[in-house]
Order: sequence, then C-alpha cells, then structure tokens
Amino acid sequence: MSDADLDATDPRTLPGFFDALADGELLGGVCADCGQVLLPPRPACYACGSRAVDVEPQSHDGEIYTYTAVHTPPPAFAADAPYTVAVVALADGGRLLGRVAADYADVAIGDPVELTVREPTAAEREVALDYETDWPVHVFEPR
Amino acid sequence: MPEPVIASVGASPLGRTDLPGRDLFSVALAEAFDGLPDPADLVEAVYVGNQSESYEHQIMYGTLLAEWAGLRHVPAERVEGCAAAGALALRHAVKDVRNGEHEAVLACGVEKMTSAGTSGATDALSAAFDRAIEQRSGITAPSQYALLAQRYLHETDATERDLAEIAVKNHANAAHNPRAQFPKEIDVATVLDSDPIAPPLKLFDCAPVGDGAAAVLVTTEELAADLDRPQVRVAGSGASANNIAVAERDMTDIAGARIAAETAYEEAGIDATDVDFAEVHDAFTVCEALLAEAVGFAPSGMGYQSYREPAERADGWTDVQLSPSGGLKARGHPIGATGLLQALEAYEQLTGAAGDRAVEGAETALLLNEGGVADAVTVGHVLTTAEAP
Repeated sequence: MSDADLDATDPRTLPGFFDALADGELLGGVCADCGQVLLPPRPACYACGSRAVDVEPQSHDGEIYTYTAVHTPPPAFAADAPYTVAVVALADGGRLLGRVAADYADVAIGDPVELTVREPTAAEREVALDYETDWPVHVFEPR
Repeated sequence: MPEPVIASVGASPLGRTDLPGRDLFSVALAEAFDGLPDPADLVEAVYVGNQSESYEHQIMYGTLLAEWAGLRHVPAERVEGCAAAGALALRHAVKDVRNGEHEAVLACGVEKMTSAGTSGATDALSAAFDRAIEQRSGITAPSQYALLAQRYLHETDATERDLAEIAVKNHANAAHNPRAQFPKEIDVATVLDSDPIAPPLKLFDCAPVGDGAAAVLVTTEELAADLDRPQVRVAGSGASANNIAVAERDMTDIAGARIAAETAYEEAGIDATDVDFAEVHDAFTVCEALLAEAVGFAPSGMGYQSYREPAERADGWTDVQLSPSGGLKARGHPIGATGLLQALEAYEQLTGAAGDRAVEGAETALLLNEGGVADAVTVGHVLTTAEAP
C-alpha cells in the first residue's frame, strides 16, 4: 500500500473531492483492475478489493435511476420540504444520489438530467461541521 | 464445540413509554430472569445493541446495563450497527458461547426513540447514511427506502396496493401479539389513504417510532438444561456489510441479506425451503418483498406476494410464514432492540409459547435484521427447536 502520504489535496479524500467539485469538476475513482466507478473516489475498490484506483473526471450527464420526495425532512432541511431526491445513473457508469431541481410529479425514471454545482446556502452552512462549511452542493437539473 | 442455545427472553412494553432506556432494560431483564438465579450468578458477559446516543445523550451502554443488572467486572460493550445492532449483539453472544469462552452471555438491546419527537428520531436515524453525499442531500430513512420501492415497482408487477397488503398482513398478525405496539387490524384503504411520507411510501408503509428493550440469555445447552429452561438452538449465524451509500448497491437484489442468510443456512445445514417462519426486517413494507427474494423464499420479482397464503403465491415460493409477530411494522421497531425482539418471537414460537399466533408445527426460523438502508449491514440467524434434526 502506498497511501501513507494521502492528504487533503488528494481527490481520494473528501476535501480533495469537494475542492474539485467546487471548481465544477466531478471526479470519480475508476478501478484499474475491474473498471468500477467509485463516487466519491476512495483508496480501494469495493467491487474487487483492488487498491489500484485511478481518479478521472466524470460526465455530468445522466438519467434518473430512481426517485422520491422527502415530506418528513430532518430538522436541518425542514424549510425545503417537500423536495425531490434521486439516484442518478451517470453516463460514465457511476451512480450518485442528490437533490433534483424539479417537482416530484414532473420526474420519471429514465429522465435525462445534468449535474450542477452550487455553493452551500447560509442555512446549509449553519448545520455543516466545521470542515464541511465550504463544501459545495450538487443538484441535478432536468435537461 | 459447545452448542449455543437461547435459554430465556424478556421485553419491556413497546411504543411511547415514560421510562428511560436503562429502566426499559430493567423491565426486560426482570422478565427474562423470572424463575432463574440472579444475573450476577449466571451472566459472564454483556452485549448491548443500541443505535444512537442522540436520544438520551448516553453512550457506555455496556457498562451502564451491566451495572443495572447487578454485574460488576464482566466484559460489557455497546454494539452499533443502526437497526442491526440487536442481532449483532446476539451474534457476539452466540460466538462467545460457541467458542467456549463463556457459558452464559446476555444479549440485550434498548432504544429510547421518543425522547425528541419524530424530528429527533428522523435526525438520529439519518446518521446511519453516508454523511458526505446522502445526509447533505437531505435524505431520510423513509426516502431511502422509497428509492428502493420506486425501483422495485418499476422492475416488477408489484403495485402500491401489494405493498399496502403487506402492512395489512403484519397488522393482522400483531393483533394476536400481546407485546405489539399496534395490536390491531387495519385495511388496505387505511394504508393507501395515509399521508405521503416519501412516495411511493405512505405513513402506513413505515414501521413506527417507539421505545423498547429486549433481553436474550444465550447459554450452552447443558446450562439451559441445568436451569430447567425450554431451549432454542442457535444453529446458524451470518453477517454481511455492503456499501454505505445506497446508490452504489444493487437496489432490488439485496445481496448482503442473501449472503447473511446463506451463511446462516449453511452453518445450520438447511436451505430456504426448510424455514417454517421468518422474522424479517420490514422497516418499510417493500423490505419484506425484497428480503423474501434475497433469502430464497420467493422467485425474483415475486416477493411482494408475501402477504398471500402459501397456496396463492407464485410457483417457486416456499410455504414460509413471514413475521408472525407483526414485524417491525406492527410489533414495533425500537431500533437497537429489534433484532432481539425477533429472537424473542422465535423463542416463543419454537417453545410453544406463541398462543394463538403460533405457526403450526414450526421447527425452524430465520431471523433477518438490517441496519442502515437495506443491506448496509445484515445479520441472519437460524433458530431451531431443541428436537430438530
């Protein structure tokens, strides 16, 4: 193993991943042995156990794989409810959960969406842990 | 190797109670040790299933409950795996007895979920999800399972009405269970017309928030015989962790549950067709359908028929009965105690103490307890009567 020098600039850590996302780049881990896409990147592949994980930019385009609407939110998100959440199958093979900028009734499985990135709102910063304060938030926009 | 058996069980009342966690435990322990020597004269180690310190601002639950049981200087620890914590505690106790390390181990679980209302429970449960992506997107337990349900309804012939029928069946079972949080029958319309929580899931698709504690005494079969206790064998135990983020798992083939169950079947020397009844983790109605398929009771895509009588199910279904207790849905789901409440139901069924909810002729049970979303972690146990081959 050669990760002893892993630090917060490495996109296989959360700070490194979110730094890139803040610049508009979605980075995924891609297993050099089996091809599994890992979102966010991490040091080991869950599919085959390999630690040969490359970091590569991922397409922002995808399709709704499954979705719902949150009517009973955690206290931190009470003002937003109901809001739509989906798992999106991205064009490069990974799957990612996130909010969808559309009403539940206007969403269906298979709908094309695009990942966008914004800064956290004041309310989101309020409930963030210290090290998360500046982490961006991704939102899927219908295309 | 010593054969681990369950020698006694107990539980507190379930639901909204006026007792804190340690006191709920005292009630469960008193039932489990009714007619037995005091815990201090028997118990050599304690495992406590407990989800969250947010409910009572209390960790160190191993130490606390050992003390409240009158035990000092025994190994004692809290086991955490969200809603699978109870079965993880049971699994540790079983291994300790099987390994010959201890002759009597107390597996218990406790949760004081009603301490901060529904929003407090929602917040505490959300800690079971990946913090970086899932929690920051505002996901909740019902909405996580709604993602599975939406996909399941898309891929199979199942309908929202089928899911509702699962809730109706479990309430009908709970109506015969004096321990149940909701011992009453409901109809399909009640489920379908209930408030949307996370579509396609509605309020009556969801297991309730509630308080509760359970205690299960695991011993060698020799000690259980010396104590003159009815005993139930723990013939198999399996556990499996899968990815924490639901997006990165197969959302309709619950692989972790399959592996945990198959490991337990193999240890017990049985297969799915030998299981007479199962207590499965129906935190939401869709779970029962998915788990029936994962553990080999139902063909792929047919698990939603779990509410039907065996003769009315599709070809390839076994004749298993699911959640005679009423399941998490209606018996109740005090998170850390749930896996042990499943064991309690199986103990009562397999020792002839299940009254008018008894599964006729039952000799073999599967318990399936999950934590996080679906198979983030799954624990399976096979329990059999002492007389079973």
